Amino acid sequence: MPYFRITLMRSAIGLPSKTHGVLAALGLKKRMATVYHPVSSSVAGQIMRIKELVDVKEVEHAMTKDEMRAARRPDPGYYVEKRDAKVRREREGVEGLAV
Amino acid sequence: MLARTARRSLLETRSALPPTFLLPFRASITTVSHTLETGNVPDPLIHSGHHISQELKSKVQNRDNFPELAPLSTSPKPSPRAAHARDDAVIRDLTPSIRELLPLLHSQPAHYLTIHIHGHPYLITQGDEIRLPFLMPRVKPGDVLRLNRATHIGSRDYTLKAPEAQKGTRDAPKKIFYLDDRLFVCRATVVGIEQEPLRVMEKTKRRQRHIKHVKSQHRFTVLKISDVEVKSLEEYEGLLDRR
Repeated sequence: MPYFRITLMRSAIGLPSKTHGVLAALGLKKRMATVYHPVSSSVAGQIMRIKELVDVKEVEHAMTKDEMRAARRPDPGYYVEKRDAKVRREREGVEGLAV
Repeated sequence: MLARTARRSLLETRSALPPTFLLPFRASITTVSHTLETGNVPDPLIHSGHHISQELKSKVQNRDNFPELAPLSTSPKPSPRAAHARDDAVIRDLTPSIRELLPLLHSQPAHYLTIHIHGHPYLITQGDEIRLPFLMPRVKPGDVLRLNRATHIGSRDYTLKAPEAQKGTRDAPKKIFYLDDRLFVCRATVVGIEQEPLRVMEKTKRRQRHIKHVKSQHRFTVLKISDVEVKSLEEYEGLLDRR
């Protein structure tokens, strides 16, 4: 199912309250925020109201906020090779008790 | 090599125009993004900042003279990653320049690395203590970390560099190119945690007597680099064959 990927590029400060209303309805609260809405004529009409303020792209899948953040997260660049000796002994001790 | 891999990735991401979406009052409007995403910027503009010498270009083009080369690919990383993690590339190609100069780099006595932790570079050598600008979660003093993302491996006279990072926009994240992690071994021990001095911020409004005091005392992880080792060409090729 295709979605509109809508990013608010320009602020609505100084614009009429109806324009603010459209942005609120779409869920765009801050500049550079991105929201996904399914492609439909009603959403298209909302976009037409604020077309000068947004950048729109059509995509197949919608991403959640966490997914968008994760897409920007870089590689950690490390992994733990060896735990501290005391911590390892504690862990082994617990496993021994569990058995 | 850089030009080819960048062009290839551009061709793959540049999609055809989306299908015409019918609207009540207008016909044949397509939803196309006009921001400077990686897929939208034309090829010549992306390469305008890259200055590749004629010698290197001819070397790359005459690649057929080296039949034993490993296939040109940025193969996926071995460790499992999240589905939507940032698309950084680990360059795993054995280029002619690596074949030629890695023995020289390896023969020199001292080496430095520019390792990346969470995308931020740190220039280190053996014995360095680095205070990270954050508290590393889920590690305790005494843990040994293996650092596996580096962009530069250098010595006094030679430096092995990964391709330059591609600048990111809000839509297309930054893409960093890393060197093959089989080329080097870098270990760091977590030494402990440091704290900054106590900071007190006073928050108040005009003509209000009440002053709110907000305390801050951030903590930082300190690592000590225990091993910096650059593999020789034979060891590296051995590791390549094993895969």
